[in-house]
Amino acid sequence: MRSTKLFSLNLITLALFGTATGAMAADFGVQRANTESLKTANYQCKRCVITDGYSGTVGASVGVIDADDDHAINQLGTGTDGAIAGVNADMAYQQSGYRAKVQAHQLGMDNGFINIEAGKSELYQLDMDFQTITTNQYSNAQTNLWHNNGMLTPSEHTRELNLDLQRQRGGIGFEYDFSALTELGLSSYARFDREDKTGHRSASLMSPSPVNFAEPVDETTDKFSAGIVLDGDNWLSELSYHGSRYENNISDLSLPYSYDVYSATPDNQAHQVSLSGQYRLASSVFSGRVVSGRMIQDQELVQMSGNPIQNWDGQVDTFSSNLAASTRVSSRLRLGASYDYNKRDNRSSVFDFAQYEYDSMSGAFKQNTPMDIERQTFKANASYRLASGYRLQAGYDYKQVERSYGEREETQDSEVWSKLNIRAIDKLTLDFGLSYGERGGSDYQANELTSDETDSLMRKYHLADRNRTEVNARASYTPLEWLTVDVSTYYANDDYDATEIGLTQAKDYGYDANIHLQVSKPLSVYAFAGQQWIDSDQSGDQSAIWHTEIRDQFINLGLGATYSGLMEDRLTLGMDYLFANSESNTGVSPSNEASYGAYYSYSHSMSLYGQYMISPQMALKLAYQYERYFDTDSAMVTADSNSGLITLGEINHNYNAHQLMLTFSYKLL
Amino acid sequence: MAKLMATILLTLLITALPAQATPWSSLDSQQLEQKLTEKFAEGKYSPKGADSCLMCHKKSPKVMAIFDGVHGDMSSSKSPMAGMQCEACHGPQGKHNRGGKEPMISFGADSKLPAESQNSVCQGCHNDPKQMAWHNSTHNLEEVACADCHQIHAAKDPVLDRLMVNDTCTSCHTRAKADMNKRSSHPMKWDQMTCIDCHSPHGSMTESALIKPSLNETCAECHADKRGPFLWEHAPVMEDCSNCHTAHGSVNEALLKTRVPQLCQQCHADDGHASRVATQAGQDAFSAGKSCLNCHSKVHGSNHPAGSNFAR
Repeated sequence: MRSTKLFSLNLITLALFGTATGAMAADFGVQRANTESLKTANYQCKRCVITDGYSGTVGASVGVIDADDDHAINQLGTGTDGAIAGVNADMAYQQSGYRAKVQAHQLGMDNGFINIEAGKSELYQLDMDFQTITTNQYSNAQTNLWHNNGMLTPSEHTRELNLDLQRQRGGIGFEYDFSALTELGLSSYARFDREDKTGHRSASLMSPSPVNFAEPVDETTDKFSAGIVLDGDNWLSELSYHGSRYENNISDLSLPYSYDVYSATPDNQAHQVSLSGQYRLASSVFSGRVVSGRMIQDQELVQMSGNPIQNWDGQVDTFSSNLAASTRVSSRLRLGASYDYNKRDNRSSVFDFAQYEYDSMSGAFKQNTPMDIERQTFKANASYRLASGYRLQAGYDYKQVERSYGEREETQDSEVWSKLNIRAIDKLTLDFGLSYGERGGSDYQANELTSDETDSLMRKYHLADRNRTEVNARASYTPLEWLTVDVSTYYANDDYDATEIGLTQAKDYGYDANIHLQVSKPLSVYAFAGQQWIDSDQSGDQSAIWHTEIRDQFINLGLGATYSGLMEDRLTLGMDYLFANSESNTGVSPSNEASYGAYYSYSHSMSLYGQYMISPQMALKLAYQYERYFDTDSAMVTADSNSGLITLGEINHNYNAHQLMLTFSYKLL
Repeated sequence: MAKLMATILLTLLITALPAQATPWSSLDSQQLEQKLTEKFAEGKYSPKGADSCLMCHKKSPKVMAIFDGVHGDMSSSKSPMAGMQCEACHGPQGKHNRGGKEPMISFGADSKLPAESQNSVCQGCHNDPKQMAWHNSTHNLEEVACADCHQIHAAKDPVLDRLMVNDTCTSCHTRAKADMNKRSSHPMKWDQMTCIDCHSPHGSMTESALIKPSLNETCAECHADKRGPFLWEHAPVMEDCSNCHTAHGSVNEALLKTRVPQLCQQCHADDGHASRVATQAGQDAFSAGKSCLNCHSKVHGSNHPAGSNFAR
């Protein structure tokens, strides 16, 4: 009996050993376990711990902000000038398979959220979300146009207002697992989300010369999704529906002397049905997806002479399919491939519409052009283990795009790439990558719809011939257990070799370096630095050819430390500092100007905090945050400094902001 | 102060010394995998399950934290603790407890076991639509292990916390982290948005592991106003939002690849109008304020009958 058992085990061992060193990687999935000797009936779990009941923390934050500019909300993430307060929670409850979770973060502040989940394991789960996101584009924009119910009324009084947007999101979702009832791997889900977005954003209208104004925003987006998931031992499938409805609550905008001068963004809907699946066969995995969608719009059009219709039936049908396979040929070699087909079929109705020219009817009619686009992508990749700790990857990507009404009906992108991953050196990991890609396609031509508008030498950069070269490298070094250093660098060059007018070259290169030190058990320190340069060259043609060089630069520096060993480990102190500088310099030739003008921004962010454990259950955290923010754009000029243009004023930013926040948290035990 | 310095130095000394080596630490990755495969096939499970393991490992808070989370829940039949317990994931005990000379399946950064083999444990139970495209994902090809991002021995897997997602992703994706601090970026700095609002970390059947079937549809999840269809469509917008925008952050306003008017002039060059040379920003109606967008404000598409040039 004993010898038989040993013999049978050895056979299994040999079989698995064979597969492990052959095509199959080791599979330690629980269903592959050899459970012959397993006797779970004897398990008593005396040393196990049952953690039923409540756990987690609840708390609240109160604070005060002193900021010269409401733009500080982007930097501080909590609110604008004045007092702020919010509720925090991260709680869980479990009892006999029932589980509930609540997470709240700064709920009550301008940016905060709450998420509630409740359900029974393996059966159902309900979740609810609420979130507010507030961002500020500009503060103190100046405009003489006062909006009321679709009418922009000019006033002698200049109105100053913030261009900020607030999103309020709410969602509810439900999942139900039928597996226990049907003995099939069948589960389902449904979810509804609504987002209301309100505020103002920068816009411009023609009356007849351009006037920048604060466009009111009041819009709602509803999303609904539902699906069923069916699975078996080696397969998985999902059938789902996704719908989205956008509704703009702001109508077309008028001036008292010029009706419907600015058309509202139309309401729209998008619907999608998706079927996807995965099948696993030995050491191969196959997956596929088919998605059929429709986007529609039937908004009333502005009524004017030369508009033949009341409503326009806009309809775009989309279809996409994807097939992917991955197989482990041997323990050294893995192959993968995918094919993707994507079609956008614009079936909208077509009419001739009269067009304005400098706000007087020129009599020219134009037909709307329902653009179709068809994409095919093929990718293949291989991963080969050269030796223990050395892995070489290589791949080929091909993308073909066909489009109607474009200057180039067909483009083809081919790319070959390779990566080398080295894990053989103790304490050091190295990754190297390089790729080369070419874009070509059908003859570039100005077709009948565009020939009278476009310079014959212009090659639009997203359609133009392009050679792209890219190299990158990354090293991670852990010389000591408490010290980690990561460095990465990259260089990419896009050469538009057939372009005379347009973007001719773009280089993107930079590095990132990070260091982390766990100096002692209570003290950890980090620092990082990164720089990026993007150099692009372009040419234009205004009686003579002109050239522009744009040199973008970015630098990001950070330093921080945490010390948690004070006052018998009750007090934790920490600090973080971050500096970021974004700059874009434009050089034009020929030019009589000394410089194109400033366009940069920088910020210093500093936070200091201390957290004191009053008791094992109660903690108090005091955090101070300082923000120094500056940005400038020489295009932002006073409202009337240029004839024929009214702007929103010099809406650059230059401010200091301080935030002091006290957070109390209570741990549930 | 002297005491503090002495403590730091002592700690440095201790941490700098190599940790006590396990009997199997001399095995390389392949040898370890082979040994564990043999053990797994033999299936010599412990007689008492978790009690056998906890006899030695009970003192480790990290080990005991399994009971705080779902994987330690004994009331759920799908939980490992309700079945084969510790050995469901760490493999059969074998002779591991007899002098600790046999390795167990281990996870995370310190494990020599290949990521694919580590992941096979997790995938034995977790194969749902979120993982449908894992096999062809960049994370799989780059041999990222589930345990590189996920923690099982915890009350709450940190990466499932909305406030921890961005930190987890950017611990490797450092360039994306830097991009968040550029002049314009999505509101990622304070976690109002997270990486997984757009990307699926387990891979997807769309480029760059995007969550929707195309890039534009992913953007339209939050920017449905730009989705269209519009009566007058702007071709590059309809084709690909990333023709003009760089989603992770830009030194230019509005996540634009290049500032206006130069961005527009990379495609538009009608004589005397679009191809005008702007030699200084702010000097005229062409280069001041919103530049080209002073007049062509509806660049994402217009629904005005006379809006073919996106001016209305």
